[in-house]
Amino acid sequence: MQIKKILNEEEIEKIKSMIQKNYGTIPEIEKAFLTSDDRIWLTSKDINFSIFDILKRCYRIGIYFGRLKRNDKIKLSMEGAIIVGKNATRNVALVDDENAMKFLRGEDINEYEEMECEKHNFIIVKRGNDTIGVGILRDGYIENLVPKARRINF
Amino acid sequence: MLLKSGAYNNVFKKRLLEIASDAEDIFTVTPKKSIRINTLKAEKEEIVKKLSDYIIEEMPWYEHGLWVRDEISKTIEHHLGYFYIQEAASMLSAIVLSPSKHEFIVDMCAAPGSKTTQMAMMMDGEGVIIANDVNSKRIKALAHNVQRGGAKNVIITNYDARYMPAMEADKILLDAPCTASGKIMYENVQKKWNYNRIRIMSRKQKQLMKTAYRLLRKEGEMVYSTCSLEPEENEEVIDFAIRELGMETLPFKIEGIKMREAITSWREKEFDDSIKNCRRVWPQDNGTEGFFICKLKKF
Ligand SMILES: C[S@@+](CC[C@H](N)C(=O)[O-])C[C@H]1O[C@@H](n2cnc3c(N)ncnc32)[C@H](O)[C@@H]1O
Repeated sequence: MQIKKILNEEEIEKIKSMIQKNYGTIPEIEKAFLTSDDRIWLTSKDINFSIFDILKRCYRIGIYFGRLKRNDKIKLSMEGAIIVGKNATRNVALVDDENAMKFLRGEDINEYEEMECEKHNFIIVKRGNDTIGVGILRDGYIENLVPKARRINF
Repeated sequence: MLLKSGAYNNVFKKRLLEIASDAEDIFTVTPKKSIRINTLKAEKEEIVKKLSDYIIEEMPWYEHGLWVRDEISKTIEHHLGYFYIQEAASMLSAIVLSPSKHEFIVDMCAAPGSKTTQMAMMMDGEGVIIANDVNSKRIKALAHNVQRGGAKNVIITNYDARYMPAMEADKILLDAPCTASGKIMYENVQKKWNYNRIRIMSRKQKQLMKTAYRLLRKEGEMVYSTCSLEPEENEEVIDFAIRELGMETLPFKIEGIKMREAITSWREKEFDDSIKNCRRVWPQDNGTEGFFICKLKKF
């Protein structure tokens, strides 16, 4: 795992305000870092990065939150979406049980209720209170972005 | 299905009958499916409500443990990480270690991460857990489970734990690789059982114990656990920690589960008397898999 930058307070604030702009809520982010592929990872505030001077065989640190995209957008991971989705008020699509299963199987869906959604933006998909993933709102459907490893096969 | 012959049948049973007169009852047990609720993802009450169709009963020894129906693995809630399918007795290691927020924990043999994610939850995602495993395939499963569990206080490393670099952990979990004879009711475990594996494991477990001692700070505490019922993998390893490393066992108590005292002698060997503080969980006592657990302190 190649850490590119440990984010300072100002950079974390920037990410928070980007999320607020897109989803109408400010998530709690205490400590975060960026890898060279523009992915943001969250860690506990107690992780002291100097430990990596000793721990050479490090495979993963913290949880993957999302990837920065152009025009102040962010493609949230499943866990990132769950954190943000809890109180998100915009760019959210609500689906019923049947469409939730479809979505988690990796299919695009065309039956959903929009909450202030912006076309071609990343949309948090929810079933009731449960955030089930992220998609992109296209013309009349939500393009599925659930990664293969997180799809259900039942 | 139980095999009718094989080393496990002739030797294993004979050995265990020397420790417990009701040892054969193990083969009548079918461990029930159990889950651990993950409060890092949602409130307990909320999860319990969502899963009400699948819950059979609450586990008497752990507020986050539940006995459940098999089909629970095929739910969206499982997929989203609201709970982790975890064997009931195996929840004890983290309960006994009792990690608290802001502590520095090393989980030396962590994959696939049931106890790592349990500890992360107990620490409310704070502090640090170094979750290590030597097996790169199993590391992938560990990473998947840590991500799904939302455990942001976990650092995953890939060392042969015997060669981990020096550090000063507040607490250590050594959930050691073992012959898994506590799961002997399953055919695949029966097929693999042989005495030679016990000796090989015992040697490795002592080496891992030596490393645990090295990685633990003074006054630090650790838990050693296995899902084996073999004295060479359990009491003998603890005896080594006491006599060779100068560690001390600590007593512990958990309400709601029947545990038996560890043994203080095995065939020609006499173990340190304080090994009485360690506990054996026999499958026939609680309908779980077999387990061994010991709490130790470094001075
Ligand atoms: C009993 S399992 C651990 C289960 C895990 N603690 C959990 O709760 O999910 C034992 C683990 O030890 C690992 N292991 C075996 N030898 C090891 C070594 N020398 N160093 C580190 N890990 C080792 C195995 O790959 C295996 O994942």
